[in-house]
Amino acid sequence: MMAAKTAKKRSPLKSRADHSPNGRLVDLHAVKKIYRSSAGTFTALEGIDLQIASGEFVSIIGKSGSGKSTLINLISGIDQPTSGEIFVNNVPVHSLKEEQIAVWRGRSIGVIFQFFQLLPTLTAVENILLAMDYGNRYPVSERAEKAIHLLELVGMADWAHSLPGTLSGGQAQRVAIARSLANDPLLLAADEPTGNLDTKSADTVLELFDSLTREGKTILMVTHDMELARRAARTIRLSDGRILDQKVND
Amino acid sequence: MINIRWYKVLNDLAGNKTRTLLIVLSMAVGLFAVGVILSARSILSRGLAESFAAINPSTGVVRTGETFDEQFLASVRSMHDVQAADARRNLAARIEIAPDEWKNISIFVVPDYNEIQVNKIEPDTGAWPPPEREILIERAALQVIHAQVGDTVRIKLANDTIREMKISGTAYDPAQMPAQLDGTPYGYVSTETLDWLGESFGFNELYVIASNPEDEEWSRQVVNQVKDKAERIGLTIPMTMTAEPGQLPMDDILQAILALMGILGVLSLSLSVFLVVNTVSALLAQQKRQIGVMKAIGGSSLQLLGMYLVMVMAYGAFALLLAIPLGIYGARALSQSMAYYFNFDLASMDIPMQSIVLQGIVGLALPVIASLVPFISSLRISPAEAMSLYRTGKGRFGTNPVDRMISGRNLWFARDFPVRSFLLSLRNTFRSKGRLLLTLITLTLGSATFISVFSVRSSLTSTVDEMMKWFNFDVMITFGRSYRSEELQQLARQLPGVYETDTWQQLTVRRVRPDGSEGSMIYMFAPSPDSKLISSPGLAEGRWLLPSDQNAVVVSSALFIEEPDLKLGDNIVLKLYGDEFTFKIIGVSIGTSFGTIMYANYDYVSRITDRAGESDALMVSMSTHDPESVLSASSALERLYESNGLRVNTVDTMFVERAQAEAIFDTIVSLLLVMAVLMALVGGLGLMGTMSINVLERTREIGILRAIGAPNRGVAQVFIMEGIAIGLMSWLFGALLAVPMSGALNLAVGTSMMGTPLTYSYSVSGMLIWLVAVFFLSTLASYIPARNASRLTVREVLGYE
Ligand SMILES: Nc1ncnc2c1ncn2[C@@H]1O[C@H](COP(=O)(O)OP(=O)(O)O)[C@@H](O)[C@H]1O
Ligand SMILES: [Mg+2]
Repeated sequence: MMAAKTAKKRSPLKSRADHSPNGRLVDLHAVKKIYRSSAGTFTALEGIDLQIASGEFVSIIGKSGSGKSTLINLISGIDQPTSGEIFVNNVPVHSLKEEQIAVWRGRSIGVIFQFFQLLPTLTAVENILLAMDYGNRYPVSERAEKAIHLLELVGMADWAHSLPGTLSGGQAQRVAIARSLANDPLLLAADEPTGNLDTKSADTVLELFDSLTREGKTILMVTHDMELARRAARTIRLSDGRILDQKVND
Repeated sequence: MINIRWYKVLNDLAGNKTRTLLIVLSMAVGLFAVGVILSARSILSRGLAESFAAINPSTGVVRTGETFDEQFLASVRSMHDVQAADARRNLAARIEIAPDEWKNISIFVVPDYNEIQVNKIEPDTGAWPPPEREILIERAALQVIHAQVGDTVRIKLANDTIREMKISGTAYDPAQMPAQLDGTPYGYVSTETLDWLGESFGFNELYVIASNPEDEEWSRQVVNQVKDKAERIGLTIPMTMTAEPGQLPMDDILQAILALMGILGVLSLSLSVFLVVNTVSALLAQQKRQIGVMKAIGGSSLQLLGMYLVMVMAYGAFALLLAIPLGIYGARALSQSMAYYFNFDLASMDIPMQSIVLQGIVGLALPVIASLVPFISSLRISPAEAMSLYRTGKGRFGTNPVDRMISGRNLWFARDFPVRSFLLSLRNTFRSKGRLLLTLITLTLGSATFISVFSVRSSLTSTVDEMMKWFNFDVMITFGRSYRSEELQQLARQLPGVYETDTWQQLTVRRVRPDGSEGSMIYMFAPSPDSKLISSPGLAEGRWLLPSDQNAVVVSSALFIEEPDLKLGDNIVLKLYGDEFTFKIIGVSIGTSFGTIMYANYDYVSRITDRAGESDALMVSMSTHDPESVLSASSALERLYESNGLRVNTVDTMFVERAQAEAIFDTIVSLLLVMAVLMALVGGLGLMGTMSINVLERTREIGILRAIGAPNRGVAQVFIMEGIAIGLMSWLFGALLAVPMSGALNLAVGTSMMGTPLTYSYSVSGMLIWLVAVFFLSTLASYIPARNASRLTVREVLGYE
């Protein structure tokens, strides 16, 4: 009901310049997620209220099964809440249709996965270009230059024409990060981005996140590694689908 | 308690209904085609022979110049080497099929239609036996005379009497060539009617069955005995015939069709094999990771193997459940329609056990074998490896020249165009080489068969063109005896619209074999080689007649089917008007055995037959060639000659002749069309199944695409383009493979029907039709599953695991 009203008031796909007046990029109200399966129902998230300001680097930590992935998936529109409201840059993500969400996500959210999820038959630079094609934010003639630039940013320019299969895990994740930046998104959503990397590669990824935050990117990262979580500006602790506490790191 | 392993198998089958349906359908369609073609082939070859045997076919026919009576028939029946004999009167007459348009008809007179012992005639519709002053028409002949039961037709007899007769019914006379194939209709009347027609009763045809009907040589001897006996009582014998044992009147076409079906059967069998192998390996590719997981939790290879074999066989069993009954139905429908063309009732429609067994092997055993290979290779990989495939794997893309050609820096030039999704499709196509190869082989076979079938069809038309090429005239009139050539031409030129005329000698000859026996009747055309109205027919080998040739003949290729000892360059002894002459075969023309033809020089033939300056056939070319004016000219010519007291035997217009020649091929052409549709079905559904399974395999990538912002359209596009890429490749390879494949089919059809391959003609239209079909089918085949897959949410494919 409420969602419908909001949607009527403003176009769901708003321009990026229109930041929330209160500086909240992500705004969750009483978000609940119940999984229904043949085994019965399972409440994965129970009444989550959460705000993330533009330019913040936030980490989510918690035990396996605590609902971390569920939470980040709801924010990036990969999944839909059972009830509650999710606004990202004032867009009511909870009320968008799957098709609208895909387009919105392509332009607004950079998704980074634990297992990189690069398309194996496209080269590094092509993976980025494909995302740019879908996002359609830049003129066609500028895309290639921008893509190479993003690879330079993550230190992978020398591998621009390599296929993902020939890259190491750390390298692949750096390409995936470059891809997530393809359309200059408002928010990077990374679910265990280092979960499949050795310590040294994980460190590189975190350094990348640091420098991206310095440039004003908003980053939400899920991890179960306390050490890594502490490198974010703020850490949210999840337990059994509830926010246990929030802590600002120094 | 049900073992959990089998529970998983059951779950896999029932849980993924789309996949189960696709796999079962792809397998079933191939098996169905095998069933239809092989069963129909065997029903036809066996059923036609059986129902032919049921009429007690004669092994020999003796035609007499004068009539004979019951007494002579009785004496033939009592001959030691004759198992059975029967006699009929065969009356040559003409029937009016349109106002003033007459056609030859053979009218049989049998004293008791219910007591026929040899070449039985069966009642079909309407009256039986033929009532007085009425006529029965052979059931296949009605269409040739453009009449229906109940119509009244005008019959003109050799004695010029014209009678109106009612067609009171149809008869079924399998011993005769179906009327639409040789153009001669048959009628049946009673002995009383014969009186009314102004003829006194008597037989002029003897049908005998030799004491050992299986022995062709013996049958020939028995016919000669009968002939001698007839000659001893003073009868002249213009013709004797021996049938090859058990051979139907249109055996050549039948053989051509059986050969064609044999080849197509083998093709569809291999197509079906590839479909099954392809499907099963696609299935296992999807299951690789699960196999890894089960191994990781301690499943032994043997247990896993057993599990998957049961699963694969379950798919096969479902496919057979569909394919066998549908195949039986299709085979019966197909053989029934073929039998209809041949004017045959099938005595039995039993489905041969072999084709069901074959379907069973392909449907059950083959999937097992097909799954063993990929299964064993998937067993060899470690659980860790298998599970890691899940991460959209390393794949195997990028490891060979083809991959390198379509990847990376080579296509970097395309950086300024949003063609990534095309690249993605293109490379996905080449990602799994083994699967692509299997898919391509399957679809290429289907494409090639489809195009080949069309090519055989266009080759048949080219062959008719070649056969008909030799005449440049519109009307041909043959006369009851020879007349002065000058007189014939002068009369014709009186008619307005006649452009040019020429004459020739036309006679029926027979080969006298080295052992003294005689072959069947051959038409000899003896035109002047320099005539403007005749040019060389299409030649299979040798050369056309020159004015200087003496005893040279050009024979039609079909002669070699009956006289296999002959070849180009041989001498052939021919009986012309009772005398034997030796000719030399200098050329072989393309022709069917329906009225075998040979060509010789007018000057030579008229000299040796003492008919110099005389002719018995006239060719007329008109100034306008439309059927209307040609037809009216032909009846005007007939009237003109008759009013001048000349006896006209036949009047043929060449466009009708051409239609006649085409009609002979019609059965094959319509069979080919059925086959083309069948192949399109197999190829199309195979394409759809393969594509769909491919897409199912890619759900994971769809998740990635959506995660990076691909709209539904974008996701579907990638897979549709991949489908079209595969479709187009198979079309291209199929179009190439069709060249030798249609050559082989032309050889099989041509040699069994004419003793020489069909005139080759590649069907460009077939190729284009298939291109359109492939485009359409691959779009459809990838669209439906791609759309379904694009409906999956990202979480469903990537999120939770
Ligand atoms: N699709 C689903 N169906 C049912 N239960 C689910 C589903 N996805 C997640 N869960 C359950 O929700 C809980 C939270 O999952 P998840 O968010 O993936 O946890 P985390 O990422 O913190 O390990 C888990 O207990 C999991 O079993
Ligand atoms: Mg998780």
